[in-house]
Amino acid sequence: MSTTWLPCSVYHQDYAQDHRWWQTKFIKGKMILLFVILFVVIPLVADSYLLSICNLIGYTVLGALGVQLLIGFCGQITLGHAAFIAVGAYTSTLLILEFPWPKFMLDYGIAYPVSIIIAAVVAGIWSVLFGLPSARVKGFYLILTTMAAQFITVDFIITQYVSQIGGRGQAFSLPPGTIKVGPWVIDSELKVYFIMLIMVILCVIIMVNLLRSSVGRAWVAIRDNDISAEVMGINVFKYKLMAFYVAGFIGGIAGAFWISNLAAISPEHFPWFWSLWLVGVILIGGVGSIHGAVFGSIFMVVVMEGLQLAVIPLADIYPKLFIDFLYIKEAAFGLAICVFMIFEPKGLAYRWWQMKNYFNLWPFSY
Amino acid sequence: MEVFLMALTTGIMVGGIYALVALGWVLIYKCSGVLNLAMGEMTLIGAYVSLSFYSMGIPFILALLFSLIVGLVLGILTERIFLDKLIGEPVLTVIMVTVGLSFFFKGSVELIWGTDTRVFTPPVFSIEPTHIGPLVIGQVYLWSFLAAIILLIIFVGFFKYTRWGLAMQACADDEMAALSLGVSARFVYAAAWAIAFMAAGVGGTLLGNINGLNISVGYLGLLVLPAVVLGGLNSVPGAIVGGIAIGILQNLCGTYLDKYFPGGIKEIAPFVFMAVFLLFKPHGLWGWERIERV
Repeated sequence: MSTTWLPCSVYHQDYAQDHRWWQTKFIKGKMILLFVILFVVIPLVADSYLLSICNLIGYTVLGALGVQLLIGFCGQITLGHAAFIAVGAYTSTLLILEFPWPKFMLDYGIAYPVSIIIAAVVAGIWSVLFGLPSARVKGFYLILTTMAAQFITVDFIITQYVSQIGGRGQAFSLPPGTIKVGPWVIDSELKVYFIMLIMVILCVIIMVNLLRSSVGRAWVAIRDNDISAEVMGINVFKYKLMAFYVAGFIGGIAGAFWISNLAAISPEHFPWFWSLWLVGVILIGGVGSIHGAVFGSIFMVVVMEGLQLAVIPLADIYPKLFIDFLYIKEAAFGLAICVFMIFEPKGLAYRWWQMKNYFNLWPFSY
Repeated sequence: MEVFLMALTTGIMVGGIYALVALGWVLIYKCSGVLNLAMGEMTLIGAYVSLSFYSMGIPFILALLFSLIVGLVLGILTERIFLDKLIGEPVLTVIMVTVGLSFFFKGSVELIWGTDTRVFTPPVFSIEPTHIGPLVIGQVYLWSFLAAIILLIIFVGFFKYTRWGLAMQACADDEMAALSLGVSARFVYAAAWAIAFMAAGVGGTLLGNINGLNISVGYLGLLVLPAVVLGGLNSVPGAIVGGIAIGILQNLCGTYLDKYFPGGIKEIAPFVFMAVFLLFKPHGLWGWERIERV
């Protein structure tokens, strides 16, 4: 599903062409246009509300990429991804607040980028720890162990112990000016937006490159049939753990990125609901494609914001509605998943693929 | 020793309720192969429905009966509207539909009944504790346990001796054979969901009587998952044993480990136990081991 047919009369003559990121001039132009829009047009045009929505989309994409890797490419269903995002966020926050950084690192703004990397590694290791049961169990039993990861990590360890470090109470607040990248203090939506773009693009590149290497092919083999993968000589356990590691790594990046947008973090930012939300995002977007993670994020965030905008005028008439919005959102999310699963089980990415192929052959489709 | 026995008995009594809900879960899985993650929210709905009836002034037994009827209708509706269309779809799809359902149910419950803790007023069971030998047990626990056991017996009797129950057993055992013998699979699925909804509703009502009723009762309903994993996904006796075991484990941990790990160990212990247990017995106590072939 991930491959697109080439347009008529375009043929590859060597492998280098086959391996190219952007295989035709049209695709190259399209991608450059996309980058121009992302890096130039949106920052110029959008106000801070729109930018905040973009940031939320980016955060969802980062979270969903890890889930997509586990569910969509390696077949390990996870319902506890928010735990790894939380580990990333808390590692980064604690490093910024508690670690005695050398003066020059703070001055040059290296502390936060370094903490992101450490947070990602820690989250990856934590993820591998909960991926260990995947050696013996799969399917529904694995779902339960990932659920256990969520409850153990967020509801128990972080709420009860990690939050007590430094005696700050439940929420860790990040004083303004502590999050600094290079010479820039991250204090506006616009700066967060640029960090988000760079993170998302980096993670997508990592994912795409992994998926077209032998590692990615091993993952897909495990997803399709883990017994035959083992018969073919793939070390199933190793690759499963690797998938957990990379997913946790990207989740850690997501969490560490998100603290730049939040003034304070607390365990309530990473509920079980968020884990399920991410799975819902990739199901709506399409399982087994990176486009799916992006489209699903855009769709869910935009729909929920739209719902909120629709509710605000009504709230003058029914004030209760505004308080109840959270519940409406939950119910709508549930219903959206059900409807998508029943009527559009291949997700939005499949429609996109169909559309692309239609126009590739247009106007002379067979 | 007193403390231990107290925790043990309370655990068994609460475990009886879990066993009831777990039975509903196992039923759905056995009959239709659906791994249901909406069980917690199903307990919530049943509990709130019976609370609403009860606060209208209807006697408790009747309110419970009404909530059973509502559960029956809702169960059949859920199966017909959502799950019926998904027969033969991949496991992930079906699981995620139940997750979606759980959100839908939860959102609706919060929308209709709010999130404040509600209690059954006037209290259904008297607050006076009963004394059994050296043990002091709240009447709520005792009656809940009795009610759960009675319902368990009714359900098990239903499977063993009625025509419909036998149809469900046949379908669970070998769906193809059951179909060729004229058992209606659609009826069986609907019946499984209806019974699960009813069992969950009763379980939720009883749990709501113990600590008051709010969204967290749905979380208690989620504890059926460790229970069914412990017993094995497709074993009815396993569900009952697992439910009681989880109840005991939870109360013992709450009594003894709370000193060392303050706060929340009671809620987390079943999941920790389950994660470790799965490493040693990946199919639970009596679950079927599927032999997989390429």
